[in-house]
Amino acid sequence: MAKILVVEDDRDLNNAYCLILRHEGHEVVEAFDGKEALEKLDDFTPELVLLDLLMPIMGGLEFLKQWRKAGQNSDIRVLIFTNMENSPEVNEAYKLGANRCIIKSWTAPHNLARVVKDTLEASSDVKTPA
Amino acid sequence: MLGSWFPERIAVVSLDGKPVNLIDRPITKAFLMGKPVTEKMYYIRKDGHKIPVSVNASPIVIQGKPWGAIEIFRDITFEQEVDRMKSEFISLASHQLRTPLSAIKTYAHMLVDGYLGEVNEGQKKSLNTIVHSSNRMNELINTLLNITRIESGTIDITLQALRLDVVLQEVLNELSFLAATKKIDLQLSTAGKGSLNLKTDALIIKEVFANLISNAIKYTPDEGEVDIIVTPRGQDILVEVRDSGWGIPKHAHDQVFSKFFRAQNIVKRETTGTGLGLYLVRGLLELLGGDVWFTSSESKGTSFFCTLPRVTRRRRRPKEARADNKKAGL
Repeated sequence: MAKILVVEDDRDLNNAYCLILRHEGHEVVEAFDGKEALEKLDDFTPELVLLDLLMPIMGGLEFLKQWRKAGQNSDIRVLIFTNMENSPEVNEAYKLGANRCIIKSWTAPHNLARVVKDTLEASSDVKTPA
Repeated sequence: MLGSWFPERIAVVSLDGKPVNLIDRPITKAFLMGKPVTEKMYYIRKDGHKIPVSVNASPIVIQGKPWGAIEIFRDITFEQEVDRMKSEFISLASHQLRTPLSAIKTYAHMLVDGYLGEVNEGQKKSLNTIVHSSNRMNELINTLLNITRIESGTIDITLQALRLDVVLQEVLNELSFLAATKKIDLQLSTAGKGSLNLKTDALIIKEVFANLISNAIKYTPDEGEVDIIVTPRGQDILVEVRDSGWGIPKHAHDQVFSKFFRAQNIVKRETTGTGLGLYLVRGLLELLGGDVWFTSSESKGTSFFCTLPRVTRRRRRPKEARADNKKAGL
């Protein structure tokens, strides 16, 4: 099972994702914005980051810019979890190294668990659709 | 208003920023074709200021011969601004509605799936109603949001290499719940040989087939069949969504892709549709360079056929064109 960082500002959804992923046996740490996520990453090295884009204080794009600057942390998968499909923000997230993007309001819990598993198993240099 | 009395001296650009020659102007087309022409474009004033206009041109025909043409134009600056504000409002409202809806759907699913402990059959039935209703609300929000984006030219295409069968299976996974409630046999198969690889936008593909397949499920009686058949061809892939449903009456075939269209035989049975799904499907497929059509027999079923090009070319969007015009001082 994998180490996962969940970055989501909506507390209800953050709690739900952590619960689902822990239920699947993953070790999960939560953060509620990009700044808190960067702080958590000082002590926690995940294999996957589940990342919301629209968050207060520091959004997902700014988090990716800082965390992945100069090609750092490129071996850690990033799964974008947003409700802003087909937006410039999603395009930008891919440019900043996101591996996959899924839509929150489309995704049932059992599918979230499966998409996380697929993303972890996928080759890191192949971007796969949700 | 324009600084010139003579139409031929007024500079004209199309909505995507390209200059329009005199021969392609509505007044010339109306004269040459002998019938009225209506188009939206930009007129450029003498001082360089650009005005969006709706142009109506009509031919003057005397004893069957064209003698000239009259052009009437209307400044639509205010209408365009109202349209932009409407689009922004719908987009913002949709995002704001989706977050709490995601929480409702996620927690209801978690209860049904047993993540929070066992629930009895009666409780499960009630929870399934919550899931079903939140899915309907979600579909409606997605549709409104996407139609707004298509009509305002603000939809962004993210090209990715993908396998079509993998994406379609994702859609089927999400809709299996709906199919199960009607005991509908939902099958995905591939006909013929060849690659199913595409370079296109995965989320748009999902939206297109979520609409077509959920329609097929909705408009098929209990214990019916819905088959998705994928056929690789040379430069594109053909997908058929075939159902054993109530079908579309022949007299309504011409209106199927129109906004708000709902067939009378369906309205009597299924009251929840908006009539926007197929309008959206066609708009999204056009964005990807694909096509959609159908065959249908009442009481026998319907097949929707879609073609998807192997490689989607990014199309110039009106929004980009507007930005280019701004840079060029138009």
